[in-house]
Amino acid sequence: MDHAPEQLRFTGTGPEYFGIWIVNLLLTIVTLGIYSSWAKVRRLQFFYRHTELAGSSFDFHGNAVKIFIGRLIALSMLIAYNVTVRLHSPLVIVVLILLAIAMPWLLRNSLRFRLYNSSWRGTRFHFRGSSSSAYRVFLLNSFLTLITIYILAPFAHQRMKAYQHNNSWFGRSPFSFRARAGQFYLLYLMLLGAIIVFALVVGFAGIGGTFVAMAQMKSGGHHVDPRAFITTLLILYGALILAGILIGPTFHALMTNLIWNNTRLGEHRIECKMSPLSLMWISFSNFVLVIVTLGLFIPFAVVRATKYQIECMRVLPASDLQEFAAADPEAVGTVGEEAATAFDFDIAL
Amino acid sequence: MLRANYFDGSSTRVHAVDLSMVSDDLVVRGETVDFKISFDQVQVDERLGRAARRLRFKDGAFCEVSDLAGLDGLLAMTSHQDGRIDRMQRRLPIVLISYVALVALTIAAYRWGVPWAAAEGARRLPMSVGRTLTTQELKILDGRILLPSKISAQRQKALTAQFMALQLPGGGVPDSKLLFRGSSLGANAFTLPDGTIIVLDDLIAAINNDQQIMAVLSHELGHVHGRHGLQLLLQSSIVGAFWAFYIGDISQLLAAAPVALAQAKYSQDLERQADDYGAALLRGNGMSPQLLADVLKKLVALHPEASKIGYLSSHPSTDERMRHLHLLAAHTSDK
Repeated sequence: MDHAPEQLRFTGTGPEYFGIWIVNLLLTIVTLGIYSSWAKVRRLQFFYRHTELAGSSFDFHGNAVKIFIGRLIALSMLIAYNVTVRLHSPLVIVVLILLAIAMPWLLRNSLRFRLYNSSWRGTRFHFRGSSSSAYRVFLLNSFLTLITIYILAPFAHQRMKAYQHNNSWFGRSPFSFRARAGQFYLLYLMLLGAIIVFALVVGFAGIGGTFVAMAQMKSGGHHVDPRAFITTLLILYGALILAGILIGPTFHALMTNLIWNNTRLGEHRIECKMSPLSLMWISFSNFVLVIVTLGLFIPFAVVRATKYQIECMRVLPASDLQEFAAADPEAVGTVGEEAATAFDFDIAL
Repeated sequence: MLRANYFDGSSTRVHAVDLSMVSDDLVVRGETVDFKISFDQVQVDERLGRAARRLRFKDGAFCEVSDLAGLDGLLAMTSHQDGRIDRMQRRLPIVLISYVALVALTIAAYRWGVPWAAAEGARRLPMSVGRTLTTQELKILDGRILLPSKISAQRQKALTAQFMALQLPGGGVPDSKLLFRGSSLGANAFTLPDGTIIVLDDLIAAINNDQQIMAVLSHELGHVHGRHGLQLLLQSSIVGAFWAFYIGDISQLLAAAPVALAQAKYSQDLERQADDYGAALLRGNGMSPQLLADVLKKLVALHPEASKIGYLSSHPSTDERMRHLHLLAAHTSDK
């Protein structure tokens, strides 16, 4: 029997999110940041509950206290790192080693927290990746990437996605991931090419001109006008932002398509058709409007970008979507699940 | 009657049901489900935009309701009350007041809060932090940007003696180290985080007047007194953290611009404070604040283009500083 594709839908609107966003922001500032964890739960609930598949919405069950603890841990690591770096203290090595040891474990637990607290039709997602794999994927591969001057970066990225998607479950149904490293390499080569072309164009057009002007001033015996320096800086800054607006979304769209088109939930296929041009336009117009409104447009921009990205996805069911069963509370690694609720916390990924 | 979907929590099967209230009980009735439960046992999700709301039961089962108006009608028959933050988010006046409060808070924090917190923080940081930072900075600067001074040892000694004899406005004499260095940075003097003052050869050559050199050092002592090096470091951290939080979702890069602007403003504020302290110090030692203005005039003559950069500059415009110092000088002679 054939089953019609099920489109993911996002029903939230900018004005609704604006109210939530502004109240969250105010309470966060008034409580000197403490409320931000509760704000995050509210924000995620807004986005999850407005995301629909086959007429039913998703839900987020995360506990703000856990998120708060996660943020305290992340903050203390950040402070330890910044203080030792700024003071040029030899302790920075100790801090870095501790971070390297803690990071993979924290990231894995964070994945577990996020998935365990997500549900659709009352059935929860799970993440069952092991700690040892987390160390291989996050630590060993990052190290290999570094010593091969990033030649292994696409490979490391592919392994990371495989670790995430191959260990994710919806109830008793496993996700699977089949994109190969070669496909990641292809996209990264395109990214590299785009960056090189962009750098050449900007280099010749803008910065070159400024340097020529400065050289002329110098050879003419004048002092270098400091405004010329500032112009150069502004051009560089603008070029970086432009690169972020043009190249970033293109790469993001192609990468997201690659990842989701190669992910399955049980027998059900997932399809993602994100258009680089549409995403570029959304990013660019959002960017301009956020600046013009001094940030007031942020909630509208976030809703707009989220809606577009979610509605690019469809599930192509192989059978009835009614047949998923929740994980058996006794059978599966629910030891892990219980531990997850006791020790897990969220670190933004 | 209110249409809803019931889920039992152990499968994704949809059970279409009708909800109704019978006295204090919620009745859930459909082809496959039929039960009633005391409403005290039901947990109602807060409203979030137009999202379907859930009525949750203790065993993980729930009803998903998309008809929000219908649900409000049902809830009106119960003792249910929406949460406070839930109501805040939906009332336009409260949203607008939040917005105004947010803008006012941001401006107040930017103008007074951050400088105050950073000044307090800088005062409370142990001296060892400033010393460590200074040692590291000197290690980087010496031999690269800073070269050994060509000023004679005798002249260095004489200037140091004059400097050490200055009476600070709060009483006592400077306990800063005075270092002489050569550099291609031009006529300048600056203060390191532990209060060490570096004087460049070009400055001494350009001014060539002991009283005016003392005037420059009084300004630098203003930076020492306020621990401005550490203060600026803290201010940049606070502003950076705020913008990363506010706009970081969109672009880290975008957040860099307001940070740079705020940093320039804070730096200019500290220069003004140092000018005021320097002026007070000069007065206390029987000299006129006019000396500092004279130095600025000499330096402008040396680098006419440097006085013209606007908001991005670390110093206020020289014209503005000279006007202010003239005023302070006139004030002194009145007394």
